[in-house]
Amino acid sequence: MPGPDVFDAIASPVRRALLDVLAGGARSVHDLAAPFEMSRPAVSQHLRVLRDAGLVTEERVGRERHYRLDARPLRAVSDWTAHYEQFWRRHARLLRELLEEEDS
Amino acid sequence: MASVEVDQFLPQPPGRVWQALTDPVLLARWLMPNDFKPVVGHAFTFRTEPVPRHGFDGVVHCQVLDLEPPQLMRISWRSRNLDTVVSWFLSPEGTGTRLLITHDGFDDTDPGQRTVMGILGGGWRGHLVQRLGTLLDEGGA
Repeated sequence: MPGPDVFDAIASPVRRALLDVLAGGARSVHDLAAPFEMSRPAVSQHLRVLRDAGLVTEERVGRERHYRLDARPLRAVSDWTAHYEQFWRRHARLLRELLEEEDS
Repeated sequence: MASVEVDQFLPQPPGRVWQALTDPVLLARWLMPNDFKPVVGHAFTFRTEPVPRHGFDGVVHCQVLDLEPPQLMRISWRSRNLDTVVSWFLSPEGTGTRLLITHDGFDDTDPGQRTVMGILGGGWRGHLVQRLGTLLDEGGA
């Protein structure tokens, strides 16, 4: 089963800002909530979306949960144009083959 | 502005290539099954295998934007995460055809794509911009 879409996960400005903070290192929910003037449950909700998309991992440190960025899913998104370049190269080749076939 | 460009020389003259681009049966043979008609404004779809990783359900929604036989065809190309434009430029080269395919508009589309373009282009100020490369390397392929 494919996970939640990484595109959806990073569509929210709050979640992008959370990722930006996490890029500086692992943080607790408490640390993450502070600069955003948001309730901890609201931040936790956003973190859940990021976690389900594979962009953050969660670990228990004592009584707190710490969140850590995993940037790997962003690679899939950044490959978008590479994906289409391959797509058009493949189909341009198929066009060439089709025209050759018709010639013969 | 992110776009994809693919250039292909074909030994056949532009008229032949034009036919392969604009005859729905031929188009299906080298691209995808479709209900294309060579009429400006005609709305149609291409249908292919879904790509769940990209949130793609296998249907591309298109509209014919420009037709200038036998030198230019331009269509809109929309799917769940994309609102883009594909153009085919044909120019005579010797007895054959130089075909240029461009796929434009990747950064004017969904917020996710724009975000990533922003990150990669340095438009998103912050740690992630500076560290993305390192983070990806640390994370492995």
